[in-house]
Amino acid sequence: MDHSRPARRDVLRTGGLLLGGLSAPVLLGGCGTTAAAGGKGNVLRVSQPGDPKTLDPQKQGDMVSMNVLINLFDTLTTRGRDNELHPGLALAWKPTGRRTWRFTLRPRVTFHNGEACDARAVAFSIKRLLDPATKSPIVELRYVEDVTVVDRLTVDIHTTVHDPILPAKLSLFGGVVVPPRHLSEVGDAGFAERPVGTGPFTFVRWQRDHELVLRSHDGHWRGRPSIDGLVFSPAPNASSSLAALQSGGVDLVAGLTPDAAQQLEGYSGVTLDGYTGIRTSYVSLNTLERGPLRDRRVRRALNHAVDVPLLIKAVAGGMATETPALVPRGAFGFDPTVKPFTRSVRTARALLADAGYPHGFTTTLTASNVDSNVAEALSGLLAEAGVRARVNLLDPGTYAARLTSDNPGALGPMYLAASTVWTLDGQSIVQSNVRSDRRQSRWHSEEADRLIDVEELSEDPGERKRAFSDLQRLMREEAPFVFLYQMDNIFARNDRPRWKPGAAGVLAMHSAEISR
Amino acid sequence: MSDLTPDKPPAPADTAPRRRDTTGLLRTVLKRLGTALLVLLCTATVSFFLVRLSGDPVKILLPPDATARQESVLRASLGLDRPLVTQYLDYLWGLPRLDFGNSLVHGRPVGEILAERLPATVELAAAALLLTLLVAVPAGVFAAMRRGRGSDHTVMTGVLLGQSTPPFWVGILLILVFAVWTHALPASGYGTWANLVLPAVTLAVYSVAVVARLLRSSLIDVLSSDHIRSARAKGFGPLKVVLRHGLRNASLPVVTVVGLEVGNLLGGAILTERVFSWPGVGQLTVEAVSNRDFPLVQATVLFFAATFVVVNLLVDLSYSFLDPRVRTSR
Repeated sequence: MDHSRPARRDVLRTGGLLLGGLSAPVLLGGCGTTAAAGGKGNVLRVSQPGDPKTLDPQKQGDMVSMNVLINLFDTLTTRGRDNELHPGLALAWKPTGRRTWRFTLRPRVTFHNGEACDARAVAFSIKRLLDPATKSPIVELRYVEDVTVVDRLTVDIHTTVHDPILPAKLSLFGGVVVPPRHLSEVGDAGFAERPVGTGPFTFVRWQRDHELVLRSHDGHWRGRPSIDGLVFSPAPNASSSLAALQSGGVDLVAGLTPDAAQQLEGYSGVTLDGYTGIRTSYVSLNTLERGPLRDRRVRRALNHAVDVPLLIKAVAGGMATETPALVPRGAFGFDPTVKPFTRSVRTARALLADAGYPHGFTTTLTASNVDSNVAEALSGLLAEAGVRARVNLLDPGTYAARLTSDNPGALGPMYLAASTVWTLDGQSIVQSNVRSDRRQSRWHSEEADRLIDVEELSEDPGERKRAFSDLQRLMREEAPFVFLYQMDNIFARNDRPRWKPGAAGVLAMHSAEISR
Repeated sequence: MSDLTPDKPPAPADTAPRRRDTTGLLRTVLKRLGTALLVLLCTATVSFFLVRLSGDPVKILLPPDATARQESVLRASLGLDRPLVTQYLDYLWGLPRLDFGNSLVHGRPVGEILAERLPATVELAAAALLLTLLVAVPAGVFAAMRRGRGSDHTVMTGVLLGQSTPPFWVGILLILVFAVWTHALPASGYGTWANLVLPAVTLAVYSVAVVARLLRSSLIDVLSSDHIRSARAKGFGPLKVVLRHGLRNASLPVVTVVGLEVGNLLGGAILTERVFSWPGVGQLTVEAVSNRDFPLVQATVLFFAATFVVVNLLVDLSYSFLDPRVRTSR
């Protein structure tokens, strides 16, 4: 490590970086990481922005907790690096009726304590998740009403309506299987202290806000992981991540925002990796209330005015990919033939004039304060076309409350939003934002509703795909959103780890390798 | 402890005044305890209602695509759908048993979570306090003895600089110098003495300034009084005069301020904890507020209030032992 006196530019940059760390989002508790976090050897040391809220996989829904728990537990289905759905604890699945899915389980799988992972465990897990007493924040299984055990390795999952993407939903934490006998012995609190799953790593110890240690599991059904252990430690800001990486305390830093990543760029021994992710940003336009946004020409003008490639370069450090019509690439239903709007301030001004706004208009752009830089940049781009959008920043809590409020005007005429398409199916992003009876819908179109009904209810994947294509063309035409981009999952690392994430960016480390 | 006092009061002629003295002290203590409980009750009430004005925690706990039904089920299972008065009475009922409820985010008893974070905060506060006393007392004494000279000005300028610099800035500078440039100490983290150094120094800088300045002025006051002149006349050396006769008398206002600083160190280290990723109660509070974790916010607010109440009580009581005039005037 270079101990010589640093250049003035480095000093200024580090100072700025440390200050930036201070103003980072404050949801993240915990402490930074030090070289003390486990021996190097064949152990991979990872830091992320906080500490898990809990180690009970059915009582969490935040990325930091998921990153740990995906290594301790398995789900019924799983996503491969190819983004396709693969067998997990379930070997096969098929619908046996309009409202029933049958899952055949992998034989001879046991939990880390030796307990059998069978149909009874699956039924117990899903019922536990749905039980209000569990207070689970996991909402994907909203249509599941019951689970029945057919035989030792077969379960039927019954839904209230046809749910074509239930197997995809079960690749998330809704499909995690927990040990019934162990839970009855140690109780919920004991289970959250020392979790027992079927995953590729077993729990060793957790010193809250300091380090969480996992050991590889010899008896995992996919074989033993190539690394011996995993150590997670929290580093809540860019400065502590950098210090930890440079001092050799950690090998991989996860959960970096583009802002933080830009600050880490260029330091010796630090490599930044960006992988296309599934968090999709867009501006939702309220077309339901009186005003310019009711006019399709105005909405199209806004899309022409916002130079998305420039925005990506300016506020995301290039670590994002443009999405032409809401559905992100990588998700089922994405249609690559739908092209993004061309960027032209002149076209935007012409469309505005055509709609009766030759001098533009004044409006408000609401955003959560964590997205302030994107909102300000958007406001600047819109101003070039004559649309004067005052940026209204809200704290994340108020923003979330207004987003899901029954009043569609609660966030004003335009708001900056982002959705994570966890299921890797287009349904996840259109279901709550587009169909006219959904709370976040600010655009009513009978044709869009019909297409959503097709993709939500059809059993034929080909028909679903066609419906998604038609829907994206319709949205590209009607422009109820200003379509922006899908964020990369960004990691910083030293030269030891060899690992690539899936599209969700979760730290599933079974396939990770490290050079010693 | 009364033998610590430099000017002993006349010995009591009989036991009656002594009894009156003790009864008076007891009455004062009881009265102060009553007031303290009232303060805590008010804090609990205000924090309970104020935090509920901030919005609905279910909106933060669930993702935006949750249905209204899923929201209402979770709201009910967390008990947030009950009438406000019922929730308030339940909360008050739990307080005497130190039952603060379960965290909405962590799902565990709030008392347990607070107890986990408390050692880190106490450790940091204790280290900072020790550092404060080790630096501030010699600095204050030195400056008072050298009043008006260049060395006094140097010490006081340094101290003033410490008081005027925001703690987070001091923290960042220390990280820059000791962690980033020289790699001498870790930038953040918890668990070893090396982790403790930078946050403790950061936190102590302000307290050192406050205590040293006050001790200097208090000591300068005392050094011009008659008994010091007598001590000098007896031929005691200047250091002995200051340490034996001056310091004890000058300690009264200093004790008050040190007491308040203990409260500040325990409850006001939020920024320092944030800069150094120190896993204490301060970080927990910020996290709880952001998550609208009502029970956790209520408990941390109550903890900070209780810290100040207890520290103030102890400071008041310590007067009686340090200054016999306070005791006899009750």
